[in-house]
Amino acid sequence: MAKKMTPTQKSEAKWGLLFVAPTIIGLVLLNIYPIVNTIWQSFCKTGDFGKGNKFVGLLNYQNALANTETWQSLWNTIKYALIEVPFGVVIALLLAVLLNKKIAGRSIYRTIFFLPMVCAPAAVAMVWKWLYNTQFGLLNNIFHSKVAWISDPKIAWISIGVIGVWSIIGYNMVLFIGGLQEIPGDYYEAADIDGASGVRQFFSITVPLLSPTTFFIVQTRIIGALTIFDLMFMVMDKTNVALPKVQSIVYLFYDYAFTKGNKGYGATLVVILLVFILLLTWILQTAEKKLVYHN
Amino acid sequence: MKARKMLATALALSMAAGLIAAVPVTASADYSVSELQVNIWDNNQLAGLQEIADAWSAESGVKATINVVDWDNYWTLLEAGASGGQMPDVFWMHSNTAQMYMENDLILNLDDYIANDDAIDIANYYEGIVDLYKSNGVQYAIPKDHDTIALLYNKAIFDKYGVEYPTDDWTWEDVLAAATAITEAGKDDGIYGYAINTSNNQDGWYNLVYDYGGQIVTDDHKGTTIGSDEAKAGMEMMRQILEVAVPQTTVAETGTDSLFKSGLAAMITQGSWMINTFYTAENSADYAWAMLPYADRNGNGACDEGERQSCYNGLGWAASANTADPAAAYSLISWFCNEENQKKQAELGVTMAGMPGISEAFAGAFEGMDVSAFTKIEEEGTLYFRPYTRNTTVWEDALQQAGGFLDPWQNPSDPALMAQACDNAQAIIENAIAQE
Repeated sequence: MAKKMTPTQKSEAKWGLLFVAPTIIGLVLLNIYPIVNTIWQSFCKTGDFGKGNKFVGLLNYQNALANTETWQSLWNTIKYALIEVPFGVVIALLLAVLLNKKIAGRSIYRTIFFLPMVCAPAAVAMVWKWLYNTQFGLLNNIFHSKVAWISDPKIAWISIGVIGVWSIIGYNMVLFIGGLQEIPGDYYEAADIDGASGVRQFFSITVPLLSPTTFFIVQTRIIGALTIFDLMFMVMDKTNVALPKVQSIVYLFYDYAFTKGNKGYGATLVVILLVFILLLTWILQTAEKKLVYHN
Repeated sequence: MKARKMLATALALSMAAGLIAAVPVTASADYSVSELQVNIWDNNQLAGLQEIADAWSAESGVKATINVVDWDNYWTLLEAGASGGQMPDVFWMHSNTAQMYMENDLILNLDDYIANDDAIDIANYYEGIVDLYKSNGVQYAIPKDHDTIALLYNKAIFDKYGVEYPTDDWTWEDVLAAATAITEAGKDDGIYGYAINTSNNQDGWYNLVYDYGGQIVTDDHKGTTIGSDEAKAGMEMMRQILEVAVPQTTVAETGTDSLFKSGLAAMITQGSWMINTFYTAENSADYAWAMLPYADRNGNGACDEGERQSCYNGLGWAASANTADPAAAYSLISWFCNEENQKKQAELGVTMAGMPGISEAFAGAFEGMDVSAFTKIEEEGTLYFRPYTRNTTVWEDALQQAGGFLDPWQNPSDPALMAQACDNAQAIIENAIAQE
């Protein structure tokens, strides 16, 4: 291991370090330090304005883990992910396959589907909030119904999930199109000659060869969905009765850390989420070898 | 070469001056800054306050830029700024958070400035507001305004269903009777007699608790009587009104003010800070204000001492402890708070004054709309200060949500649920105070 470096290698290493220094400094200052600080705060009863933090050991963790609210929020977040990830991926894949064909107005469709990605999430949420409004909303107006889309605890989480799916399909679709264009055309030609149907080609060629892209999207979207905050925050009022059944763990964090000024407890909640995401990522990475087809 | 450089500097300076000077600049020899950043959260007040601030700029030569940040983000931003040393120079303080900022010396100690200022005599302002912005005997903010609450009703709806208009002599029983009549008659049109959300506390259900003899926070800010029989009687009255009011799921989505403006609710209670919203609304000709109803506790048919209570709150003008030029910041605060500009603030219809007895002009600020209900209650009712403890938001939020009053709001037909919520609220507030 401890092989001596030649002077050239040494100088290369020095310059190399110098060149990546900006990134390293940025990462340390903006990512690593806050992470360490957050973990430290989760063991503290924090004072106002970041002053006078008192170490309290595992007290915050005991309180957070004993509180049903924490588990409910974690479950809410998982429920959201269960809608956003599968639907966001499947719909985007189908659209990508369709829009990868030579059809008229292809780029217009691609633009339309990608547009939600360009809109500010807060603006998206405000528009959906009005679409869903029980009294004056467009949805109830069209269907002549009186459904409380975002106030009925039974369906509010689905309504929020739908916004998530709508917002993300365009992004997933673009990634899928990129993946599709990497698949060599000869496979399809060969399949055509062998007489395979379009559906058969899709499942036997497209799906396996696209699996690295699919895996990447699934993994990043799971992490994205588990850290969801803005949709609940913008769409639902604090006095909405469905809120406890919909609020995500990051929402709960925001509520404690910034509204109620309890930064320590808030930090504890995000550390719990961090551990959960780490676990999930590890499981996914392990499963990757089995699920992903490498050429 | 030198001359050229000087010319360039002069040009640059004049350009900079041109940028700053929306108002005529008389050399600002007194102050080391050319601009102060002022943060507020109410867009309705921007125009009037900017007018007052511009007059100060004309005298001082320092520009005052007023930024509006909405209520929720205002506090997030201010706290982040306080932690990072980047607060605006001058800003509003509120009862919910004042204690925290004062104790951490984040806002400027005004004692010496006030002592040397002929324009300000702190004894002239509302005592409750002055006390609020005092910590360990030090004054950290000067009262900017005060507010009161009144009953807002839609005459068109009352006419439509043949119900008599509210008067200044109404009790909460009268409100209940009228709301019931309207809700029953308006069933097919989807029109309700009353609308209130759990978040309407200062302008809503707090007042019922006090009318009936309870207190959300006791005078020493160390306890509550919301679980008492008196407070329960008030909330029981609230419950009966809720039975005929707009359902909670609806007010959580649309907001009582929007429902009122859409003609779907006949009565709501509102604070004086909201007048402009209704004054400038499309159907404002249909809107009228009555004094906040009272609770005839002793049953003598008249409003006695303590039976009509209006929650009042007052903002304070405060300055950052780290402002570049404290003298300039104080000068602006003093300008906003001196008697002349307090009167002007009322005249312009921005808000009522932070000192008693000079807000009559406010009633005349809204031509064509009688808002005297807000000033009359000062003589004919009791003003109590908005309940606060060191960390108000913690219990205030909890009271609005499930486990607090959201449960009876959801099912107003069950009296036991409301009584239970009062007991829960007692525990919520006591626990929050214990943790402060």
